[in-house]
Amino acid sequence: MKENRIIPYKMLYEALLSTHELVERILPESGMPSLKIGLEYLISVLNDYLKKASEGLPIVGYHFAFPGEYLNCFDCVPVCLEASGYFLATLLLHGVEKYYDLIGSWGHPYHTCSAQKGSMGMTLDGLFKFDAIITPTAPCDSTCASYPFFEYKEKVPLIIADMPFSFNEKGFSYYAEQLKFSLNKLGKVIGQEPNFDKLKNAIKIENQTLKLKLELFELIKSIPSPIENMFNPVSAATNIIIPGTQQNFDFYNRLLDLAKYRYQNKIHHGGEEKIRSIWPYMITFFDISLCEWLDRELGMSILFDIFNYNFYEPIDVKSDLDTMFVGMAKKGMSWPMVKQSIEFYEPFILECVRMAKEYNADCFIYTQSLACKQFGSVPQILREALKDEVGIPTLIIDFDVGDARMTSLATMKSKISLFVQTLL
Amino acid sequence: MSLQNDPFLSVSNSIKNRYIDETNKKIVGYYCTYIPEELLHAANLFPYRIRATGNKDTDLADIYMVRFTCSFVRSTLHLALQGGYDFLDGFLVCNSCDHSRRMFELFDMKVFNRENFNKKVPRFYLALPHIISNEGFEWYKKEIEELKIELEKAYSIGQITNANLLESIKLYNENRELLRNIHELRILDKPKLTGSDALQISMANSSVPKEIANKELERILNKLKGSEGIDTNDKRILLVGSVVDNIDFTQLVENSGAIIVSDFLCFGTRNFLDDIELTSGDPLNDITRRLYYRMSCPRMMDDHIRRLEFIKNEIKRAKVDGVLLQRINNCDLFGCDNMLFEHELKDDLEIPVFNIDRENYQADTSRLQTRIEAFLEMIT
Repeated sequence: MKENRIIPYKMLYEALLSTHELVERILPESGMPSLKIGLEYLISVLNDYLKKASEGLPIVGYHFAFPGEYLNCFDCVPVCLEASGYFLATLLLHGVEKYYDLIGSWGHPYHTCSAQKGSMGMTLDGLFKFDAIITPTAPCDSTCASYPFFEYKEKVPLIIADMPFSFNEKGFSYYAEQLKFSLNKLGKVIGQEPNFDKLKNAIKIENQTLKLKLELFELIKSIPSPIENMFNPVSAATNIIIPGTQQNFDFYNRLLDLAKYRYQNKIHHGGEEKIRSIWPYMITFFDISLCEWLDRELGMSILFDIFNYNFYEPIDVKSDLDTMFVGMAKKGMSWPMVKQSIEFYEPFILECVRMAKEYNADCFIYTQSLACKQFGSVPQILREALKDEVGIPTLIIDFDVGDARMTSLATMKSKISLFVQTLL
Repeated sequence: MSLQNDPFLSVSNSIKNRYIDETNKKIVGYYCTYIPEELLHAANLFPYRIRATGNKDTDLADIYMVRFTCSFVRSTLHLALQGGYDFLDGFLVCNSCDHSRRMFELFDMKVFNRENFNKKVPRFYLALPHIISNEGFEWYKKEIEELKIELEKAYSIGQITNANLLESIKLYNENRELLRNIHELRILDKPKLTGSDALQISMANSSVPKEIANKELERILNKLKGSEGIDTNDKRILLVGSVVDNIDFTQLVENSGAIIVSDFLCFGTRNFLDDIELTSGDPLNDITRRLYYRMSCPRMMDDHIRRLEFIKNEIKRAKVDGVLLQRINNCDLFGCDNMLFEHELKDDLEIPVFNIDRENYQADTSRLQTRIEAFLEMIT
């Protein structure tokens, strides 16, 4: 029964397989390639994880803000808690509402993040059996508040890397030590010595992947955007679930080739690009068909969402281990949502203004999640800055990333459609 | 004996008070009790804890903060945008929670830079670790050392000496001891003050210079010592959770057939449990030690058990009949800590526990009162 310790990953694997089959069989060759390609690689890595789980390797849960490739220093099955909930919300017919309700009925407040709620409910239901969980103390209150449940209710060893809310050299040094300390502690819990050579290899792959990402995002500056909207949720999945793998590199490599082809031939996935939008927060994970609808029905490109515009310096793996850990800390602290949380607003606003100009954005769509209190004071300031500095409008929509019951897809579409009428 | 008309307690009913008008010190506003008040005092500043007592609206703040944010913080911003905090000469924020931390930017952009407000208000930020460890202590100590330099520079006050710090530590330790002594009179079989009185004392204490507060606390302590105590059959309640800066809520509880004999609040026990011990020869180190290792709030991610043990101990010490867990809507930190407390207290102590959410300004009083009365009736 060793494989039954990560039933949600099995569910995810099955859902990915059936979706992939549908996409392969139904869509034409040109239809949503990022989804096709992404599914292929996600399936490949998840299959590997499930095999490892059945062999009895330790199951290590990790927070999405803890770059998953760092767990490559162990022989373990890395399971992203937030990805489990959100991508099952994407792929299952009724999402993971059952698990949100389960943990809610246990007393978890409704206003916390559905990113954690899903996995908490699944754990309460006995679907996850973690050997350990590792998390940073960022990006948000919801993280700090929710993770102790695993330790105190489920008795899972919880390893915490304290991330300072200070985005500077002092902060990087402190967090580098915290990373080292927490990985060593995790090793003791699962009875393994960290293998830093293996870690270096995974980081090298991610460094190579980063080059591809940068090249890809240069191409997105062109009009029309050479990448379809579906790329956003799929790349979020690959970055969070399969980082440090050859498959993640291959995903970006193929997407880059596709983008080059479209760029050279001025092809837009939806036919005609009418509006270029930036989503500085997240898109709907409870129904990613919104991406395709925006492309095809409105001609609206999503140039970025928050999982795509956070870049970092490649991590130095050639110098000593301490240098590598400082690089790892910088990456961790530059991670989507993390950087915006541990920094003040000013750099975030400036970054948005810069992106709006560089990428010729026509508008911003700011989805404000119920749970994201650290972002709860930014939409109006951002809206004012974009209007004053760039002259473009911002639509603000309240929603829950993983729970359709708060703001349905129909409501989202209706709000965006009305907003678009003011732009065209 | 009633303290209801006591002039010191009435300080808590408004934001401004006569000491603010009379002081010749610069006033520095702060939100959270994790900031080093002693250091501010040693810098000849007047630390003032920001609250929104009496404020019923959040309209102006709602422009900048979404409805999923804390109504306490929104209330304070609303007041500030109305000019209610124009008396501040400085502003100190730490990352105690996501809501209050963002005030660092919003006060700067929207309050201190608004039209016709011409005072330059320096602002300061402390990055507080989220776990309790030796490394975290060293980090926070550096933060506070840097703050000391920033204060010296911003207010051109020369060097804050160890002698200044020691004098402030003495004053603040006396203050905490007085509060603890008053608290001891609250947990008696015949409590000498109500939970609402205790809350008012604590709020007033954070709104006036400590030299004044200590004299007033001593006077109140002597007055209480000589009093009869409250002879009541009301249910003895321990109040736990988010910030409470308004006696409307505690009075609602106490008017429903309860007396709040102890609490786990930041305008309450958590603020005066621990003293600064002068052990290292470095007063700033000792100030940091108390701040960092004191009884935590749920923002400290790895300290839930210590909080639980304190609550369990206080239940026994104060002969508590029931525990009222409360949180302001959207407070994830207390929401989740209370979730764990609810199960742990019911399972371990079999004590009645009631877990509620509320808004900072208590509007739906009838509904809430009915629920609280129902809870109290369940306590045998």
